[in-house]
Amino acid sequence: MDEILRGGVPYGSTVLVSGTCGSGKTTLAMEFLVRGALSGEACAHFTATEPSVKLLENIRQFAFFDMGMIDNGLINVFDMDVLYSWLGLDKATFDLDDVHALIKAIVDIVNTIGVTRLVIDSVTTLCYKIKSEQLIRDFLFTLGKKLSTLGCTTLLISEITSASANAHWSSFGVEEAIADGIIVMGDVERMGHLLRFLQVVKMRGTSHSRAKHSIELTPIGVMLTPMLKWGAQSDKQSKWGS
Amino acid sequence: MFELDQRIAEQLTLVSLNSAIQVRCGSSNAFMVTASTMIPLMQMFEMGGVYICATRGAVEIIEAFEAIEVDVSHIHFLDLVSSGILGGTNVTYPNISFVDSPIMLESVLLRSLYMLRISGSEKNFVLLDSVNALAIYNNEKMLAEYLHAFINTFRQRDVLTVLLNVPDQVPPSVLANLDLYCTDLIDRGQVVIH
Repeated sequence: MDEILRGGVPYGSTVLVSGTCGSGKTTLAMEFLVRGALSGEACAHFTATEPSVKLLENIRQFAFFDMGMIDNGLINVFDMDVLYSWLGLDKATFDLDDVHALIKAIVDIVNTIGVTRLVIDSVTTLCYKIKSEQLIRDFLFTLGKKLSTLGCTTLLISEITSASANAHWSSFGVEEAIADGIIVMGDVERMGHLLRFLQVVKMRGTSHSRAKHSIELTPIGVMLTPMLKWGAQSDKQSKWGS
Repeated sequence: MFELDQRIAEQLTLVSLNSAIQVRCGSSNAFMVTASTMIPLMQMFEMGGVYICATRGAVEIIEAFEAIEVDVSHIHFLDLVSSGILGGTNVTYPNISFVDSPIMLESVLLRSLYMLRISGSEKNFVLLDSVNALAIYNNEKMLAEYLHAFINTFRQRDVLTVLLNVPDQVPPSVLANLDLYCTDLIDRGQVVIH
């Protein structure tokens, strides 16, 4: 990834990682955190899609993961449901005050622990509770700005149903405009088989590659190679790939 | 008794680690040529490596080596064949891993790189068995592009690349590209009289 980005994700950026189901978004995000913890950075993961216990089980797949990262407070996992409950936000939809309370809670946690790498998985699930597009825009813009000021690099996971050329890179259409970077993950269908791909669409402050890369999820992390030009298109237009 | 082709071992002494060798064989001498290439690499040059099985399943190849009393337990086998066979992946050898299909070319490259990263050997080879098996599933342009990327990826990492092929079963354009990309040729192809 560092090679594709010509040096890595710029410090303090808010990056949207958009992808279809099973494309490797969570694995990529977890590696981002574990690599940070390996170099002594405090990291946090807010999970809205799966319980933290399950997430920790998945993180063990990495050969370079060490339980000490959790015990020493370098990797901190928070269940969004617990956070909602703690803030008294056990409701179906959030209004302006709720959104501000949520931003304040996340920023307080980042500030208190000194988090420099943050993942919100997924921002789609979180934004479902925010009914107005304007509120979603305000939420993401304010959160991104505050986290950037604190020097925190953030990955916002976004779930999309298609990663094709014509697809939106976010569920609500506003996340992509606010993010400093967009990484798209999906599948290319080749003769009935799905090949995972990753493409950096935007990354402010870098002269990154915009090529489609094939990825493989391994115990030593996400491995990438440029996708074959003659095989980068799906056999037919499908909901999976381009 | 199984006899190795000693001339292949002699020829291998002349190649450097970042070479790409095209090994041509016939359909009836394929295993003899493969073994005559693999055995010197493993025993004379003490190399580890990855064997990409696109022609036959990995178990069959391991058993063929066991039959001639050659230990290949330190070689990683990447099997592109057995996932397409019901129960084919139910094997006991710990040094075999599987890719779903020979059309998943990028996965083959990445899996090979992964295996080399976890390999305990300082000197490694990657043997593709075979180009003609990949040609069954992949179109000529994609295969030519892939071989270009494949060879250069491993050469850049000082991994010896060995590409096995039966010339009369490989599309002419792919064969022409192999001639262009490879640094060395071991020719044990059989003359076919039609």
